[in-house]
Amino acid sequence: MRLTPGPDRDIDLDTVNLFDLDLYTAGDPHTVWNAMRAKAPLHHQVLPGGREFWSVTRYEDVCRVLGDHREFTSERGTVPTHLGTDDVAAGKLLTSTDPPRHTQVRRAIGAKLTARAVATWQDRIRQAIVGFLEPALDGEVFDLAERALLLPAMITGPLLGIPEKDWAELVQLTAMVTAPSDRHFCHGSEDATLAIAHHELLSYVTEWVKQRRASGEADGSVLDHLVNATAGDAPLTDEEIALDGYSILLGANVTTPHTVSGTVQALIEHPEQFARAQADESLIPNLVEEGLRWTSAATNFMRYAVDDIEIGGGTIPARGAVVAWIGSANRDELQFPDPHVFDIARNGAKRQVAFGFGPHFCIGAPLARMSLRIYFEELLRRFSSLEFAGEPEHLRSFFIAGMTHLPIVARKR
Amino acid sequence: MESTPRVSHQNGGGGTIAEPPVTADSLARAVADVWSECLGGREVAPEDDFFAVGGSSLSGIKIIDRLAEDYGVRLSVRAFYLAQTPTRVAELIEQGRAAA
Ligand code: HEM
Repeated sequence: MRLTPGPDRDIDLDTVNLFDLDLYTAGDPHTVWNAMRAKAPLHHQVLPGGREFWSVTRYEDVCRVLGDHREFTSERGTVPTHLGTDDVAAGKLLTSTDPPRHTQVRRAIGAKLTARAVATWQDRIRQAIVGFLEPALDGEVFDLAERALLLPAMITGPLLGIPEKDWAELVQLTAMVTAPSDRHFCHGSEDATLAIAHHELLSYVTEWVKQRRASGEADGSVLDHLVNATAGDAPLTDEEIALDGYSILLGANVTTPHTVSGTVQALIEHPEQFARAQADESLIPNLVEEGLRWTSAATNFMRYAVDDIEIGGGTIPARGAVVAWIGSANRDELQFPDPHVFDIARNGAKRQVAFGFGPHFCIGAPLARMSLRIYFEELLRRFSSLEFAGEPEHLRSFFIAGMTHLPIVARKR
Repeated sequence: MESTPRVSHQNGGGGTIAEPPVTADSLARAVADVWSECLGGREVAPEDDFFAVGGSSLSGIKIIDRLAEDYGVRLSVRAFYLAQTPTRVAELIEQGRAAA
């Protein structure tokens, strides 16, 4: 989706359709969210066919919805693509589980993904990133958005335990989950595309586990850890292993590439900031935070109200679905002055909620942060300037904010 | 939750391959029954759409496994979801048998 909004327009919030995919490919969602934060901080929409949902767009409300499981449960699903259909994996998949079970499973899985654990992968990740940037050095047109889809697999493949021969296929499958009606990823209907991708990803992890058990091999990878982890005092069930393995693959693959391309796009639009970061590498960690805020690759997550709940000046009825718009919270002027200005030296950029908030705060955040930092270090060391070499194409999704194409040309330093 | 009467295929879980039903219709009916069972007993007709009757990847995994056990044909994941109705899935099984 477009990350720099056009001028504010008059928007009829009674008729706006937040699930209109054209809004994200060709429209300007930020102007809609601006109007919602100002005039309808609790917004209600009924979709054709009768499904309905509420939306919160202010920073404070987004944090409350994502963070308080006693008011807003994750156990009926958290992805708005599935609005209205209770999650079949409730209570089995980490993301679709509330505390206290969530806390147990999260502790078990999280041990391998802490900042300290992922730091040991630093050198290998740097090598992978250098390899990724290599082809851009020849000065030819480089489609960053298209190529970046493979970046997480290159970075995290070995860490997760996925052999290189499987990367391309897994990347394709995870992209199908995030944008099932994008022409790049669609197979038949949207439902069919989603089911095929879920099925093949789950089967992939199940097969992986079966082979590992049969061979008795262990490689210290995250998937390996999942097979041997205990939550509470019992091992994870095979179904939990398959679902959580799937969830980690998905989380790792679908967000980082769009953060990379969206941040690079902003740096090309603001060459003075590119130069500033190049002159002072110590700005890079804050550049990463601002890039996360700016791109907000996970546009939203969903919860269901447990009871009638008052929020944003209105009431969400018990069992109502509520979408927390992360992309909007990260542009809330009460938290981020001049929110639509990209500023790598922004004060308080670290308050961004691109990784969510509360118990489900992204388990991969340390890995993503470290990968992004290394990516920008290597980019800024290698290239003296970057330029656009064509129009970007936006991902057809209201769930993931991203691009499918961003042609650029890079000049060697 | 209402349950549908189980019909025809004689594979009482013994692992043997069922006798091929005589007509395409009865195979489609038998496939619909497997779906019904894997969807928690809800009624499924041969022309019903998989997603309209509440099908998901988790039930799809069970169904493909069951059909492989019952008919000796392992359907490709993509072909299964793109077929979308018991009748068309029955055709895939026929094709799979013919090719075997
Ligand atoms: C820039 C990159 C990333 C962004 C923007 C992002 C965003 C998010 C967000 C917003 C959530 C919260 C979901 C909720 O509240 O329901 C989340 C959870 C999660 N993410 Fe990420 N993520 C990123 C990278 C990763 C990586 C690299 C991994 C895997 C290694 C990962 C795996 C997960 C998992 C498993 C969860 C569920 C955690 C839970 O339910 O406790 N993510 N992510």
